[in-house]
Parts: sequence; structure tokens; C-alpha cells
Amino acid sequence: MVKLSVNAIDAGYGAVHVLSGVSLEIRESETVALLGTNGNGKSTLMKCIMGLTPVTRGSIVLEDDEERIDLTTKSTQEIVALGIALVPEGRRLFPKLTVHENLLLGAFRAGARTEMQRNLDRCYAAFPVLRERSGQLAYSMSGGQQQMLAIARAVMSSPRILLVDEPSVGLSPMLVKQTMDMIGTLKRELGLTVLMAEQNFHETSRIADRGYVLVHGQIAFEGKNLQELLHSDLVKRHYLGA
Amino acid sequence: MSLELLVEAVVSGILLGGFYAAVSLGLSVAFGLLDVPHIAHPTLLVVGAYATYALAQLGIDPIAAGFMLMPAFFVIGVGLYRFYHALFERRGGDIALRGLAFFFGIAFIIEVVLILVFGVDQRLVEAAYIGSSVQLAGLQMPSRMLIAFALAGLLTLLLSTYLSRTFTGRAIKAVAQDQTALALMGADPVRIKQSAFGIATATCAIAGALLIIVGPVEPGMGRLYIGGTFCVAVLAGLGSMKGTLLAGLILGITESLVLTSLGTSWAPAVSFGLLLVVLAIRPSGLFGR
Repeated sequence: MVKLSVNAIDAGYGAVHVLSGVSLEIRESETVALLGTNGNGKSTLMKCIMGLTPVTRGSIVLEDDEERIDLTTKSTQEIVALGIALVPEGRRLFPKLTVHENLLLGAFRAGARTEMQRNLDRCYAAFPVLRERSGQLAYSMSGGQQQMLAIARAVMSSPRILLVDEPSVGLSPMLVKQTMDMIGTLKRELGLTVLMAEQNFHETSRIADRGYVLVHGQIAFEGKNLQELLHSDLVKRHYLGA
Repeated sequence: MSLELLVEAVVSGILLGGFYAAVSLGLSVAFGLLDVPHIAHPTLLVVGAYATYALAQLGIDPIAAGFMLMPAFFVIGVGLYRFYHALFERRGGDIALRGLAFFFGIAFIIEVVLILVFGVDQRLVEAAYIGSSVQLAGLQMPSRMLIAFALAGLLTLLLSTYLSRTFTGRAIKAVAQDQTALALMGADPVRIKQSAFGIATATCAIAGALLIIVGPVEPGMGRLYIGGTFCVAVLAGLGSMKGTLLAGLILGITESLVLTSLGTSWAPAVSFGLLLVVLAIRPSGLFGR
């Protein structure tokens, strides 16, 4: 069993504290939503898990059967090697490389190289448009296609835990729906565990099992199911603006 | 200009172009792919030429010497990049200007060391193929230029295959575009750049051997090649190896035609002139993405 737990972490940039005492838990084969509007620390939390932003207090622990690994002492490369992949905010594709080259780079980590062909077939099967455009440069694709490529590139690394940071940003409502469905499908087919940061409460609630709401760098609410979350006064006040 | 003279000029331009491509491939990696303002690249070519000279004194064939020197040059490149990264790149700021100053300084220091070790006199190597020439379709072609052309083709093929077929190669193509994204693929961007710089410097071993095979060398010669190598790397479309070969040919043919029609005093103006034209008309180069 795999479990990722974030235990009372603080993080920030210089004098600015972004996260204070944030705790959450992601268990194997769950889809967990991390909700909150802009500037509440969702992306920072994702970056902390990936070792891109230092954690000043607390721990982030990956439990794998009997093994407990504290990710706060690991480099990004080591964290990726443990089977954790992030689809970053803003997609961060390699703009002047082709779709195909972007996908192959996803398989860079040692553990994913032997499975590269199988993962590539999977990605092309899941996103036929990427196969059609495999020779196209990433920057010249539409926003929706770029999001698909970003997700597919993360899948190429054979992750066990997939972190997705705001996949809906900049997409039309129909594309948001499609992207959510695709994440749900990939999760089921590949047996992934997913943590997804989102602002779009309703679309996220369709695929998430549980959720946390981040307000001003703290977990303001935690819900076993998202309906419960949606109807809580706290969420209405802080998040939906009601 | 008579047709015969024109054909001769174009043919010798093509051969010269192969040589220009060979001396510019490393810069296409360091400057084209990594965005490092590596103005010391031509000076490292001269180091390659002198190292070849030193081995040739021991009776080793210059081309064999060039290949033998590659591992050592790879290590030198790795060391140079580490030094640059630790003292300059890592600290951020206006890296283009400070990097330029760093590599300019390195180039001058190397030049002084070369003068101290080898003296200011011209040095050359001897081999059976250096003075000879081949008669082909009624044209007299110097063997040394044919060898330079063939090695340029071989290096281009090896580099472009490496960059597109291996994991490290593809990471080298990606590293300047988004380092954080590359880290998220599980690669260490600094180590990737370090390998790339090592490869770029390793090409200076072969290209340096070609430099001293093509003609005698002197310590300050690197400066003469700044215009040519940067012209080729920019014209190629930063980072394209096949583009580098083609750009080398274009510079070689242009220079040969200008020299034949206007006279040799124009030679230094050709590369910088072509560079300015490229920057004005097509800054992304021939194969720029």
C-alpha cells in the first residue's frame, strides 16, 4: 500500500509564509481534490511535495508497505524516481520540442525507460490527437491539446502518484469536462493515486473521492465526500463567496 | 568571373564549409542548445590543435590524436562548466553579460598559457595527406580539406543521432527551454548541462586536429574564428546539428566566392557580414524552431 501524508508543513518564499501547518493524506487509488482560489497555496503545496519549494517545518512522508521515506530531505530527481509525477501549473511543456520528444522526455527516469514503448502506446491510445500531431512543436498546439500533452508526459514516467495542478486553467467549459473525464479514466486504467489542485469545484467533484479546502495557506475544511464539502457553510463563505 | 573559376570557387567553398561546420558543432551545442555565451569555444579549438601538435611530436597521426584527445576534452568541458555554474550561472542576475565576460577572460588566459608553453611561433603537423591532393572530375582537391569535410559529416551524424536517440541527448535539447520541467522528468538540469558542455568541448579535440591539419596554428588564432563559428551557429538555427553543417557550407561558399571575386582582404568581413544579415533577416536561423 502506498500512502502520501503531509504533516503540519510550513513553507514560503523568503519572508512570505504561504503554507502554515498544512496536513493532508492521500491513500492508494484515491482521487483527492485540493480546492481553493488563487493565491491560497495549492501550487506551493504541490511544489513542496516535489521538492521544488523547501519545507521549513513539518514532514512529507511517502509510506510504501513498511518503508517510510521523508520527501522533504529528497531532491526532485529522487522524488520522481519514487514514482511521483507532477503535471505543473501552466503545463510547462518544452515549447520548441515536438509532441513526440516531449513524451519521450517524460520517460527519462530510470524506472520508466523500460516501459517507454508501452506507456507511449497507452498515451497515444488515450489521446489520439497527440499521435496525429506527434511531429508538431508543443508551443503551436491549442491550450486543450497542450494540457493533454502535459498529462500524457507525466503518465510517461510510470507514476504511482500523480499530482495535477489546475488542469482546467485557460480551458473552455467543455474542455474542462473532457480533461476531468480523461484524468478519471487514466486513473482507473493505470491504477493511479491522484491529488488534484483545482478551483473548479463542480467539475472536480465529479471525479474526486475526497477533498480539502485551502484558505490562506491553511486547511480550512476537509470532507469525506465533496457533497458534504459543497454544503458546508465554511466552504460557502470562504470559497464560493456565498 | 569565368564559369571554370566559379565552379572551382564553389567546390573549394564546399570543402571549406565542411571545415567551418566541424569547428562550429561544439558551439551549436554550448551556445545553441544551452544558451551559454561560450566565446572561448574557438580558443578551445586552438587548444585542441596544440594538443594534437604535442601528440604528433610523439609520432601519433594527427587525426588519431584528435580522437584520442576526446575523453580528456570531455573532462575539461565538464570542469569548465562546473566552474562557470558555481561562480556565475547559479547566482542568476544578468547571466548573458557576465557569462560573456567570464568566457572572454577564459579565452585570454588560455591564450597566454599557450604562448608560455608553445611560444608565439606558428606550429604545424606533418602527415602524408596534408600536402597531397586528389584529382576529381578535373578539379584539384586538397586531401586535407576532403578529410575535414568527411569528419564534419561524421561528427554531425553522430551528434544529431545522439541528441535525438538517447535520453541524455533529448534532455540536452530540452534543458534550456525549461529547467524546472526537466527536473520534474527526473533529470538533474545541472548534470545534463555539464554533460552537454563536455560533449561540446570534446568536439574541439577533433576540430582542433582539423585546424592544425588545414593550416599552421598560433596561440591567438581563436579570435579569428569567433565570427565564423558564431555566424554558423546562429545561421544554423540555434541548436540544430544538420543546420550547422548546412550553415557551414553556406559560409564556406560565400567566403570562397567573395575571396575569388573581390580579393582576400575581404575575408574577415564575410563571416560577421553574414552574421549581421542573418540576424536582420532570419534571427531564428535556417533550422530555427
